[in-house]
Amino acid sequence: MPAVRAFLLLAGFYLLGVVVLGVLVGADVAIFAADVPGSAAVKLYVVSVLLAIPLVQGMLALRTPKDEGGDGLVLTEERQPELWHTVRTLAEQAGTPAPDELVLTGDVNASVTENARLLGLLPGPRRMRIGAPLLVGLNEPQLHAVLGHELGHFSNADTRLSQLTLRGRYTVSRTIQAFHDRADKAAGRELAKQEKRNTKLTAKGKKAKAVDAGIAGFSYRLMAKPFIGYAHFYLRVTLKDGRAQELAADRIAAKIAGRDVTASALRQIPVLDAAYGFYMESYATLGTGAGLLPPPGEVFGGLRHLLAARGEELARLRAGAPREELSPYDSHPPIADRVALLGQLPDDGRGLPPARPAIAVLRDPARVLAELEDAVLTAEARGLERVDWGQLVHRSLRTYVDRGAEPLRTATAEVTGGPGTLDALLWAVDNGQQWAVVDKLPKSAEAASATGRAAREFARPRLRSGLKSLTVLALVDAQQAWWELAWHTEAVLRLPQGYEQRLDKALDAAVSDTPNTGPLRTMLPQSAPAL
Amino acid sequence: MDRLIVPVLSLVVAIAFYAYKAHRSRGAAPARTPRPAGRGKQSAGSVRLGFVPPERLDADRDQPADPRDGAVRAAVRAGDWQAAATYLAEAGGDWQERYHRAGQLAAEAAKDDAWLLAWRQAHPHDPGAALVNADALIDLAWAIRGNGLGSTVGEESARRFHEVLHRARQACAEAQALGGGDPSPYIVEMALAMGLGYPHERMRELWAETEKRDPYHLGAYTRALQYWCAKWRGSHEESFAFAATAASRAYPGSLLTLLPLYAHFEYETSQDDLDPDEYYKRPEIVAAVDACLADVAAAPPHNRRVPQVRHFLAWCLYWQDRYPEAVEQFRLIDGYAGATPWDYASDPVKRYTEIRDYCADRVVEAGV
Repeated sequence: MPAVRAFLLLAGFYLLGVVVLGVLVGADVAIFAADVPGSAAVKLYVVSVLLAIPLVQGMLALRTPKDEGGDGLVLTEERQPELWHTVRTLAEQAGTPAPDELVLTGDVNASVTENARLLGLLPGPRRMRIGAPLLVGLNEPQLHAVLGHELGHFSNADTRLSQLTLRGRYTVSRTIQAFHDRADKAAGRELAKQEKRNTKLTAKGKKAKAVDAGIAGFSYRLMAKPFIGYAHFYLRVTLKDGRAQELAADRIAAKIAGRDVTASALRQIPVLDAAYGFYMESYATLGTGAGLLPPPGEVFGGLRHLLAARGEELARLRAGAPREELSPYDSHPPIADRVALLGQLPDDGRGLPPARPAIAVLRDPARVLAELEDAVLTAEARGLERVDWGQLVHRSLRTYVDRGAEPLRTATAEVTGGPGTLDALLWAVDNGQQWAVVDKLPKSAEAASATGRAAREFARPRLRSGLKSLTVLALVDAQQAWWELAWHTEAVLRLPQGYEQRLDKALDAAVSDTPNTGPLRTMLPQSAPAL
Repeated sequence: MDRLIVPVLSLVVAIAFYAYKAHRSRGAAPARTPRPAGRGKQSAGSVRLGFVPPERLDADRDQPADPRDGAVRAAVRAGDWQAAATYLAEAGGDWQERYHRAGQLAAEAAKDDAWLLAWRQAHPHDPGAALVNADALIDLAWAIRGNGLGSTVGEESARRFHEVLHRARQACAEAQALGGGDPSPYIVEMALAMGLGYPHERMRELWAETEKRDPYHLGAYTRALQYWCAKWRGSHEESFAFAATAASRAYPGSLLTLLPLYAHFEYETSQDDLDPDEYYKRPEIVAAVDACLADVAAAPPHNRRVPQVRHFLAWCLYWQDRYPEAVEQFRLIDGYAGATPWDYASDPVKRYTEIRDYCADRVVEAGV
């Protein structure tokens, strides 16, 4: 029964395309029959053809876009025999053929995709993707559970009837994505065209028009609408089957890897996802603005340092019920529900055995992770200088602080007519010119609308942070201060003994309404105690 | 069919409720509110009684400006902090006057404090300078924040607002330490009690210090009442209780009989479903107005705190349909609309004019 329904729903999706096209053709016939005068009729024909173009393209898009791969590092059986052996065993246990290709990616995700044939009705070659963060953040049995789940989607053990639904859902989701991609591309092309024209107009001294993505992307989006509407309907109707499918895949994973291990993997993944996002933002790409990357292999591999140093924090996250916004179309039931359902399975007595990290399944993991960088990083990123973690943190932060202080240096130079140094700024403070200096810095709208004494209150914290940056830079450049990498917390600025409190007080004194720069001056390198 | 009953029923109820509200708001209160003459237009009765046309009404104050205030503000703007010191000193032990003068100087210092810095540099322990400094920081904080609802305040402004309020707190402590018998620094801090949300215990301490120094300070009472209102940190019960205590202490001319009227006004404006036309006619409020009329009559003629009381009386007398008495108050305050209760309206001048003119028209009609 679900299979018939799934087939009808999928067929309806294609039918919709034919109907909409038919309406357009019918409209043209009506125009012809109504004997509309020549030029107007031609215009209407042109409009209908323009509207039909994206539709026809959309119909073509209904052929599921092919998964071209290319978003990761292909792991051949020859070089990774143990991994391949593992996957083959898992596929066998799941009762489905092994994938034809294994790809290592940089995402916190594993998936199996299939380039299905005949409008998604027949199976095709399969590709399994494994995210490197999973290898770093899961242990071996947990990885088995995750891969077992993905393979379980294709298993014919107890889900034979839902196969068509699953493939249909997949096809429909991909189609909508393709529509959006086309619309975005069209809008992008139109923007580029208009900008070019505006550049020419401006060059001739004419007023440029506002750039507008306009009708180009719009006609695609308009055409996509009925399809998206239908797709939402489709997804909603088949949701129950989709969720049942996920739970069935969980059961297969539990059979393969053990009930408790599967539950622990489910709980670990959202935590790993959060940790990885944070790691990428705050560690791996911290230095990109300063032209720096961690050593080869560490861009993805460095996650292990963070996981090791923040064990307690992560354990707390795991213990708390994972809170997730659930889309009404998401086929995945909430993780808490999935874990609870696993808990209802009979105890298989396998528990949580001690296990080695999942990455141990790779041969020469350091080199693999380095090759993954070559495969997924942009050429630009690959061109960055590689430095060790300690250097990365120190040098990036120095660069950023230095860059942040630049506007203040410029403003100081402008107001005092001399060099934009810390010395010159302190001199300006002593002479009551500090507010004039800060006034030259770019302001927020709120700060700009303040006048008189209120304006000074907006300026005060900016002067304070500017003075602090310049002071810290002076100390850093005299090698009396540095930024220290810490995996368990954010980078720490190391100052000479007792400087932290003194600096706060000295800065307060320097930015007060009756300023005193004396305390700050005594902290500067020439008089600071050597380390 | 059964399934339709609940949505249809709730729709019917919603429509009925809306119609009822619309009927009430059209029928009840605004029918009392006089036909708006439109801004800039004055009613015939009001013209006949010689009231000031709306476009000449002063929206910023409740009475004519004191030329001495203007003179000292001009002097400090020119950097003459000695003028400020003298002006404050001349108030002597009249704490209510000193509080007023400090407020005038603070308003100036919130805009530009060069003179205040010079004063404090010359006399670091001057109690007057410390008082003006504390008061000015509070004004400054509100100038940064603006008067809009919390949601309209930008993130940066909100941070600066709180920073300055915390500095004001330190400044209040300093002014209190130097102030001796002057209650002003404690009254100034009550603004912080509202803004920073002091616990009741701390507010009671502030009040005890204030009361010890001046048990009849009208400005202290009106400010403390604000704290005890439901919209700030108290409740309707607490604000009525506080107002009743104030009234029980009042002697003729003390003006403390204003407090119950203020509390009733705050309560009435906070209740959407209260009909003011009925509310203000309750016997206890009529009695409170009578007591206040007697109190004002006994006050010295040039007491600068009398006008704010008269503005309130005019409002209450209007709702009590006591038009001749209301007109009598309007005659004594006319020309100035910068006072509560008018300033609770989005257009205070319009609110003032409407009510004044309505009263004037009734008096003229009755006289014909």
